[in-house]
Amino acid sequence: MINLASRDILHGWGKFLFTGIGLGLLVGLTLSMAGIYRGLVEDGRMLIDNSGADLWVVQQGTLGPYAEPSNLRDDVYRSIVGLPGVAETGNVAYLSMQVSHGAKDVRVMLVGFESGRPGQPGYLIAGRPVTRSHYEAIADEKTGFHVGDHVRIRRHEYEVVGLTRRMVSASGDPMIFVPLKDAQEVQFLKDNDALINERARTAANPAFNRPNVPGLLEAVQSSQAQSHQVNAVLVRIEPDADADVVAENIRRWKRLQAYTKAQMDDILVVKLIATSAKQIALFLVILSAVSAAIVAFIIYSLTMNKVREIAVLKLIGARNSTIAGMILQQALGLGMIGFIVGRIVAGMWAPVFPKYVLLLPGDALRGFVVVMIICALASVVAIRAALRIDPAEAIGG
Amino acid sequence: MAKMNAPAIRLQGLKKRYGTGEAAVDALKGVDMTVAPGEVIGLIGPSGSGKSTLLKCLGAVIEPSAGRMEISGQAIYDDRWKIADLRALRRDQIGFVFQAPYLIPFLDVTDNVALLPMLAGMSNGQARLRARELLEALDVGHRANAQISQLSGGEQQRVAIARALANHPPVILADEPTAPLDSERALTVVRILNEMAVQFRTAIIVVTHDEKIIPTFRRIYRIRDGKTVEEAGEGRQV
Ligand SMILES: Nc1ncnc2c1ncn2[C@@H]1O[C@H](COP(=O)(O)OP(=O)(O)O)[C@@H](O)[C@H]1O
Ligand SMILES: [Mg+2]
Repeated sequence: MINLASRDILHGWGKFLFTGIGLGLLVGLTLSMAGIYRGLVEDGRMLIDNSGADLWVVQQGTLGPYAEPSNLRDDVYRSIVGLPGVAETGNVAYLSMQVSHGAKDVRVMLVGFESGRPGQPGYLIAGRPVTRSHYEAIADEKTGFHVGDHVRIRRHEYEVVGLTRRMVSASGDPMIFVPLKDAQEVQFLKDNDALINERARTAANPAFNRPNVPGLLEAVQSSQAQSHQVNAVLVRIEPDADADVVAENIRRWKRLQAYTKAQMDDILVVKLIATSAKQIALFLVILSAVSAAIVAFIIYSLTMNKVREIAVLKLIGARNSTIAGMILQQALGLGMIGFIVGRIVAGMWAPVFPKYVLLLPGDALRGFVVVMIICALASVVAIRAALRIDPAEAIGG
Repeated sequence: MAKMNAPAIRLQGLKKRYGTGEAAVDALKGVDMTVAPGEVIGLIGPSGSGKSTLLKCLGAVIEPSAGRMEISGQAIYDDRWKIADLRALRRDQIGFVFQAPYLIPFLDVTDNVALLPMLAGMSNGQARLRARELLEALDVGHRANAQISQLSGGEQQRVAIARALANHPPVILADEPTAPLDSERALTVVRILNEMAVQFRTAIIVVTHDEKIIPTFRRIYRIRDGKTVEEAGEGRQV
C-alpha cells in the first residue's frame, strides 16, 4: 500500500510548506515564551549561585534583599561571625538604578561588596579586580561597558576596571559592582540640600544645641551625615556545618531573618516570578489555541478540497481508517514541519531578546509532543467531515 | 459463491423508495435486468427516470428497498438482506467509470491504477505490474510515470478505464462516460469499453443519454418512471 498522505503532501508541497512555516513561527514563539520563563528561573538561580553565599541574613520580617527591601546596620555581621558554623560574612548593598554612559542608558543593579568576602563578583572575563577602595567598578558584560570606561553614578565617576558574566539581578538587569562604602553612599546618603536642611533643624532643636555642652551639636550632625546601613549580610558556612541549623540560630538569637539557598530559591524562583510565570503560561495556552485553530482550519480546507477524491477512494473500497489515517498523517506532517521550523527560528532569535532566553531540550521535546497532540486533535474535525462524505457522491446525481 | 455461466448481473424486482410517508418517492418500481459477462449494455432514460438510483444500487452505495441483486450468481441484496461487506464488494467486483475521469491528482498514472489492487491487499510491486499491463492494453503505457495533470482529457479517460479494470471485476458501471466528449472521442471510449469487455469478460453497464453512442449498443435497457424495458439496439460497429 502506498502512503496517501505523503503523496498528497509532496504533490501540493508549496502550500504545505508555507503553512508549515507559518505554524513554525507560532511554535517558535511558543518555545521562546517557555525559554523566557526558563531564563527567569535561570537568572534567579544564577543570582543565588554566583553570590557565593550559603545564607542570606536580612531584616526581620522581610523577604530581602532581592524580593523586598531590607535594611540592616552594617555592624550586625559582628554578632554573626561568632556563631558556630559561620566561616565568613560579607556586607552587601543592592540598588536598582538607571546608569547613563554616553548615549547609552542602562538599567543595572548596583552591588556594594567587600573585597574578598561573600558577595564579590565571581570570575572576571576581562580586566582586574577592584583594588582601590573607591570609585572603581566591575560591570557585567551585558551592561555594554568596557574596561576603562568611565561611568557616572550619582555624584561620582567610576572607572570600569573589570568585566564579569551572567551576574544579573532577579529581573535580569546586569550588575555593577562597586566598593561597599560607595554603594552605601549612593543608596543611603541624602543629597546636599537635605543635609543642610537636616543640620539646620538639628541646630534649631534645643535638645541638641546646648550652649553649655560644646561639641554635642557637631557630633549629632556628623552622625546624621553618615550611613551605616546595608541590605543584607551574606554568610558562608563551614564545610561541615548544617545551613538550616546555622540559619535557625541566627533567627532565634539575633532577631534577624536568615534564608538558606533552598529558601532563597523558593523566594526568587517561585514567589518573585510567580506573576510572570502565570503571564507566560497564559501566553502558552493562547498560542497553543491559535496554533490548533490554524492547523484545524488548514487541514479542514485541504480535506474539503479533496471531497471528490475522498468520495472516489471510498467508492473504490478504501477503508475509513485509510482516509482518516491520511488526514491524521497530514496534520502530523504539518506539525512536524511546524516544530522543526519553530525550533530553528526560536534558536535564531533567542540571542536577540534583551532578557535571557533559555531553550531546554526537555522543553523542545515537550513542545514537540504538544504540537503533535494539537495537530492530531485539530485533524478530528476534518476527519469527521471526511468520514461523512458519501461514496455515492462520486456517482453523478 | 461465483458460479460458472451465471450472469454477471441479475436484478429481480429491484425497488427503491426514498423517504417515508407523504414525502416518499418511488425511484425504482421493480427493475429486472440480466447482463452476461463480456456484454456492454446501454441504460437510457429521461432525466428523473431513476438511472442514477439504479446505478447507485448496482454500485452498492445505496441499498434497494426490495428485490434481489446478484453479481456472478452471488446474492448481494435480497429484499431486506444484504451481504456483510459492501466496501470489499465494490473494491473487488465492481469497476467505476465516471463522467469525468476523477483520478487522484496526487498519485501518478501507474499508482492511480495500482491503488485498487493495493487496497485489495496485493503487494505494491505486483499491483504496479498489473497497472502497467492495463495501461499498455489501453494504449497509455507510455504515460505510466506521468502526473495526472500532464495528461490530455482522452488519456485521463483511458487511465480511468484502466483503474476500473484494475481488480478484474466482473462488472463495470460507467456513468455518462462520454458526456463531455465530442463524437469522435466518445466513440473511441465506447470502442475501448467494448474491447475491454471482451478481453476481460467484464459486463459493462453504460448509463447515457448521449445520442452519438446509443446506436452502438446491441442491447439497451430503457428506464421510464422507475421501470425498465429491454430493447434490441442497433449494435453498430465502431
Ligand atoms: N436522495 C434522494 N432522495 C429523494 N429522492 C431522490 C433522491 N435521489 C433521487 N431522488 C428522486 O428519485 C427519482 C429518480 O432520480 P434519479 O435516479 O436521479 O434519476 P436520473 O438519474 O434518471 O435523473 C427522481 O424523482 C428524484 O427526484
Ligand atoms: Mg442522474
